[in-house]
Formats: sequence, structure tokens, C-alpha cells
Amino acid sequence: MAANELDSRSYEGTGVTPLSGVGTAVWYDPTADLELGEPPAADAVDSDAERDRFRTARERAQVELERERERTAERVGEEEAAVFDAHRQFLDDPQITDGVESAVEGGLPAEHAVESAFEDPIAQFEGMDGRMAERADDLRDVRDRLLRLLTDAERVDLSSLSAGSILLAERLTPSDTAQLDSERVAGFVTVEGGRTSHAAIFARSLGIPAVVGIGDALESIDDGESVLVDGEAGSVIADPTAERRERAADGRDVDVREERVSTADGVPIEVAANVGTVAELEGAIDQGADGIGLFRTEFLFLDREAPPDEVEQFEVYREALAAFPEGRVVVRTLDVGGDKPIPYLDAPEADNPFLGQRGIRRSLGPDADLFETQLRALLRAAAAEPGTLSVMFPMVATVPELEAALDTVEDVAAALESAGADYAVPELGVMIETPSAAFIAEALAERVDFMSIGTNDLTQYVMAADRENERVADLHDPCEPAVLRAIERAVEAGNATDAWVGMCGEMAGDSDLTKLLVGLGLDELSMSAVTIPDVKAEITDLDGATAESLANRATDATTRTTVSDRVHTTTDQ
Amino acid sequence: MERTVTVVPEDGLHARPAAKFVEAAGEFDATIAVAPADGNDDPVNAASMLAVTSLGVASGDDLRIVAEGADAEAALEELEAILSTPETESEPET
Repeated sequence: MAANELDSRSYEGTGVTPLSGVGTAVWYDPTADLELGEPPAADAVDSDAERDRFRTARERAQVELERERERTAERVGEEEAAVFDAHRQFLDDPQITDGVESAVEGGLPAEHAVESAFEDPIAQFEGMDGRMAERADDLRDVRDRLLRLLTDAERVDLSSLSAGSILLAERLTPSDTAQLDSERVAGFVTVEGGRTSHAAIFARSLGIPAVVGIGDALESIDDGESVLVDGEAGSVIADPTAERRERAADGRDVDVREERVSTADGVPIEVAANVGTVAELEGAIDQGADGIGLFRTEFLFLDREAPPDEVEQFEVYREALAAFPEGRVVVRTLDVGGDKPIPYLDAPEADNPFLGQRGIRRSLGPDADLFETQLRALLRAAAAEPGTLSVMFPMVATVPELEAALDTVEDVAAALESAGADYAVPELGVMIETPSAAFIAEALAERVDFMSIGTNDLTQYVMAADRENERVADLHDPCEPAVLRAIERAVEAGNATDAWVGMCGEMAGDSDLTKLLVGLGLDELSMSAVTIPDVKAEITDLDGATAESLANRATDATTRTTVSDRVHTTTDQ
Repeated sequence: MERTVTVVPEDGLHARPAAKFVEAAGEFDATIAVAPADGNDDPVNAASMLAVTSLGVASGDDLRIVAEGADAEAALEELEAILSTPETESEPET
């Protein structure tokens, strides 16, 4: 079909990232090479040799899985990496191993034996619904890995696709997605899959434009065709017109601004990223983050047998600072307790973990040693790199708690001084996430360099609505007037002192609310890296006076509906 | 010996918690079997990922663990601990 400027073909699916990309279609069908022919006659097969081939393939598969697990943990996160643990267990499953070996005994070559041993279990899971059907995908992934190793099939190396490729596939397995590189893949589209599929989760973590679940219609796109993937609208356009491409290129999602931005009338707003691992720093830089507004340190402590020592932590904080030599990196001290159990920490179960000993309450109590180690690593890192390090304390509810935390910093600094260590005292701040912190914000602000509003917890506590509980999810909205007033209060307290005030909850990354937040007077907004370009674009477009008037009208509102109406009428003007 | 444990991880015994459970079960010498505590299903090999995931155990379900062998007691302790520990969350916490 000749490219018709007026007649692009479009497809609808589920968009999984608020990003769009244009590139060249590359069909990926990893199983095409794995089709086996008829097996040879049983007496022509050397069963001992085939058993050895199977065992060797299984060992190699285990090594590959271990490597992919590590790579995924580093790039995406522990949670996604754990899928490879399940694969390793399937690979070692006695039912499968016995099935393969007895089929080999019966005269099948190893690859045919593998295919046959997986057949029933896959069929069994396929027939079940939801989560169980996903296990069928896991089993296919494990089977195909073995078949590839046994038949020496080429593995299409997705990490070395040509730059600007749009990957098209029936489905992407965890093993496939683990190889994707956002530098090269301009986007991907799959026939199957939903928002929570592995592929979707990876796409969000890696910032890759993606649409899933298009259906069989996708097959009418050929290799080499030009394709536009709009992960926000959930649409895919083959042979997009020049105008459409341009619109995609001009789209607010693709326009990354590396420079710092100000409102149209010149008020600078710092736009930073929330990260949990060193691996996410690069994505933050790619999206134009001015710095890191929330570095969650829990990930350093989770999923291990013993806490990280000072040296390990020092290296991590240093790396974060090195990523933003001219920016600021706000590190939150260990925020665990209640819902986030850590095996080596003694955290008794609590009836109300969210109202229990968490955050600074643990750091000043049972985790005092960990807290000191963390502060030592932070103070040393602050001296090791040119960027600005800021350290903030979570879950503070009283002035004495904050003072105790600040005293600990002083003690650690004094100890480093007398040990002759190289250190610097970072900016020190407090999170506003309890209602009490919002009520005493003036007293807190006087004692710190900055405050950062954690809107997820603040909303949960102000509204007394557990954010994990779907039955009260409706109450968990940061646009509730009560929450807005708590935010307003914190900002006013900051204005009355020299403390700057930022926000690091999900609210900060909602570009529909940027005008409201800037109007409220926040100096910094920190969010998931992918939303940074959107928010930067909003900021440069808005006028400070209009934003302020919107904020005034929003905080005067008595219901969330009114807030929403006011936000949207102003946005649309 | 045996004991009945209520499954705490939110995802039940699906991919991730199941992998942890099966891996632990495989490390003991004892022969370990599991079955839903409602008694309708035969116990299956706790060291088989296929068998354990196909039970379709959800959060809140009661699971009966039966262990026979020298380290049966230790095995039950460890498996109970795994089943009673909520999954670590990686949702944004702010």
C-alpha cells in the first residue's frame, strides 16, 4: 500500500505510559525459530546424551535467569526482578524435571522432551483465570528459554535493536522486557496484555512509550513501516501523516527541558524527581529533573539479611549527588515500620501500623544505631561531591522529635570532626505528612532549612482514610479542602521563615494541579521522572497572579467538587 | 507433624511469594506437603513450584503444612514465617 498522507491507519489499545514516540516497526517473534520438527525414531536417540544435554541447558538457563534477575533489580526494582525467582523455581520443578527425563528415557531428543513435559502444566494454567493464566506465560517463557538453549536458536537481542525502533510483538515476556533499552526502543506495542502486565510495568519504570492489548489488528502493520505510539491516548498510528508526526514531536510529553524553569512572569520553580534506587537516577536526568526531591532510602535496607554499612551507604549517596553536580539531592532518612517489615529489624506487629512506630519514631528509638550510621554516611557524602545534599526526617509529629533528630546530626558531626573525617553538614529538613506537623509548621520551619510535603501520607492522616483500603479510596484525595489547607499552612510557615517548601507526594506530579500548587507558593515539586516534562511545560505556561488567585479560591472551597471545578475552569481559560 | 497457617501476603501464593515458599521448602531434608486447610484437596509437594502455584491459594486462606523428617520442626517454623510475612511494598511512600 502506498503511503497515503490522508489515510493513516490507527489502532486502539491500552496506553501504559504518558509518553509518545515515533519510529520504525520491528516485529519480534521469538518463538518462530523454536518450532520443532518431527522427532527422530526412538532407537536413533542416545538417551544418556540427551539427558546430559537437558541438564546442561537447565544449568545454563539458571545462570541466565540469575543474570536477568540482577539486571532487572538494578534497572526496574526488586519487585519486578522477583518474577525471575519464580522462573528459577519452575525450571527446578521436580514434576517438570522428571517429565523431561522420563520422556528422554522413552526415546525423545531433549528439546522434544522439554516441549512435551511443559505441555500439560501450561494447558492446566491456561484454563484458569486472572493471576493463574499469568503462570502459563511464565511457564512458556521458561520452556522457550530451554528450547532456545537446546536448539542453539539465535536469541534476538532486544538490547541491540537499532535506535528508533518500535517493537511490535504478540506479547512480551519478562525475559524480553528485561532486555529493553529506552535509549534504543522508541516504543512498543503488543497484541495482548493489560496495564498491569510485566511489559507495562517495565515500560513505566524505564520511560518507554507503550500501548498494549491492541488485538490481532496489529498484524496489519508491516516491518519497516513508520509507527506512532501514543502511550497517553492508548493509540497507535501506522504511516502517520507528516502533520501527525509533528504534533507528536511537539507534544508536551516528548519535550524534555533540561534547563530550570520559571512561570511566565518569572517565578522559578524547582522540578525534581522521586527515586528509590541509584538505577533510577539516569531516568531522572533524561526527563530533565533539576535534582532529586525525594530519595527513598528504604530500598537500601529491604530484601537483605543485614543493614547496609556506612561505606555502602556513603557510595550510594555519593553517586546520587554526583548525578546532579549543580542540583540538590534530598535524601529521606530510613522510613520503615508497620507496613514495611525488615527481617533484621525488630518490629513487633501493630494493630494500626500507620499510626505506630514508623519513620523518625523508629530512628529515635529502636533503630538509633542505624540512624547514626546513615547520618554518618550522609555527612561524609555531603563533603565528597559538589552538589547540594539535603536530609529530611519522615513522620515528625512534635518539635522535640525534630530537635532530637537535629541533635543526633550534631553529635554525628562532632564525632566525625574529632575523628578527623571529611564531612559537611547538609541542609536539614522535615517532612510534613502528619496533621500535627502541619499545625505546628511554624515551629518546625524555624528549626530547619526546608520542609517537604508528603501528600500521600498527609492525605491519609488528614482524612483518616487508609490509602490501601478501597472502601474509603474516595476520601483519599489531596484536593480535599482540608488537605489543601494543611498544605497552605505549611507553605505560609515556610514563607514566614527562610525555609523553602517543596512537595514530594503524587499530587506534585499531576500536571492538572501544577497551577494550583504553584499558586499555593511551593518552591519545589518532586515527582516520578516521567511526569517531569509535563509539569515543566505547565509551569512555563502559567502566570503567577492567576495561579495565586486560583489557589485562594481553591482553599476557600468547602468541597472537593468545588475545588475541582475551580481548578478546571481556570485551566481551560 | 503439621500446622495450619493463614496466608498473609496480599498476592497469596502466586509467583513471588510462592517462589520464596518453594525455595525454602526445597532446602530442608524433611518431606513437606501442603494443602488448603478446608480438606478438599490432597496435599501436594511443597518443593514443587507447579504444585504450589496450582493450589491457587489466596491471601487469607488457611494452608495446612505437613512435614516428616529430621528437620521437620525447623521447616514448619520457617515456612510459617514466610506465609505470615506481608510482602514488602514498593509503592511510593510519602
